[in-house]
Amino acid sequence: MRYTAALFKSKVARPIPQEPVPFQEILPLKLKPAVSGKGDRTSEVCCLQEMSVMLACFKKNEFSQQLCSKEIDSFQKCYTGHLATKKVKKDKEAKGVLTPGEKQLSSKQVNTLLKKFPNFK
Amino acid sequence: MATIKTLFNKCQILKSKTPLLSTFIQQNGMSQYPTYYINPIYKKDALEALIKSGEDQNLKHIPTRAALNNQTCSTAHDDLVNLFVNYVMKDGLKPLARDLVAQSFESVKRLQLEKYHKCQSEEEKAKIELNPKTIFYTAINNCKPILHLTPIKRGGVRYQVPVPLTDKKSEFLSMKWLIAAAKEKDSTVRFHLQLARELIDAANNTGRVIKRKQDLHRQCEANRAYAHYRWS
Repeated sequence: MRYTAALFKSKVARPIPQEPVPFQEILPLKLKPAVSGKGDRTSEVCCLQEMSVMLACFKKNEFSQQLCSKEIDSFQKCYTGHLATKKVKKDKEAKGVLTPGEKQLSSKQVNTLLKKFPNFK
Repeated sequence: MATIKTLFNKCQILKSKTPLLSTFIQQNGMSQYPTYYINPIYKKDALEALIKSGEDQNLKHIPTRAALNNQTCSTAHDDLVNLFVNYVMKDGLKPLARDLVAQSFESVKRLQLEKYHKCQSEEEKAKIELNPKTIFYTAINNCKPILHLTPIKRGGVRYQVPVPLTDKKSEFLSMKWLIAAAKEKDSTVRFHLQLARELIDAANNTGRVIKRKQDLHRQCEANRAYAHYRWS
């Protein structure tokens, strides 16, 4: 019975779509007036160069710190400087302060900019 | 006119310190002081510096917390020693912890004096540091690690990643290690004596705590390939 049922079917199981595919608007065709800010989460590891130089010095001098004071100083200066700049950047971004001519904008800054100049239609 | 101006300034300082809500709701945890109370300045030199710069006029009429009972302007008061006492303390027995640290300073002095008097020549005598507080400071400074290892999970595997330490954290670790080393002893040896020995050893860049720090650095060196797994 099965075979005959299949044979007698007049149409194919899945219809072939008609050539000009009708367009369906699933989401509204415009950009949102804000960005989510997920893209900001990229992490760059700081002071890797200084760290490797310091560790190489340690290995050379049997892990005594007096002989590597220069390398240690540069590493720690790099790290504290990185922390300070990160803090300044974070504070700035939290406020959403815009400086004219800035190339790399944070998500907060982009949002303030978009709010200032909304796209009217 | 000038008085009105200064009054106005003071009002502004107060205003900036008081959030509107805090007058109704205490957002300060268990503290009995509202958030706009400032910490007291109890050290003499800090106070003198404030008076010299003229900033004390701004703080004059801002409500201030009472000083804690361990905050004194005494010349014997030392922040780092106080912190160390707090780390030594167990179950809130602060007088005991303070006594232990004081006793260990005395032992440091005794041990160093013994060495001093055994010396034959003046040059050798000049090399020996007799002040227990400077020995304490150099010991803690020498025991500070620069890097440590944190486990970071990447692709289902836990890697031990070398990470730089902040100054505060490294200070904490060095104190913790010194106390742990002093506790690791025979039951016949007193804690303060062992602590004194460890302090002197660490000040001379030898001993168990220094070795522990170097071991940590060695491990960091071995795991340096994973350094780029760090978060920041």
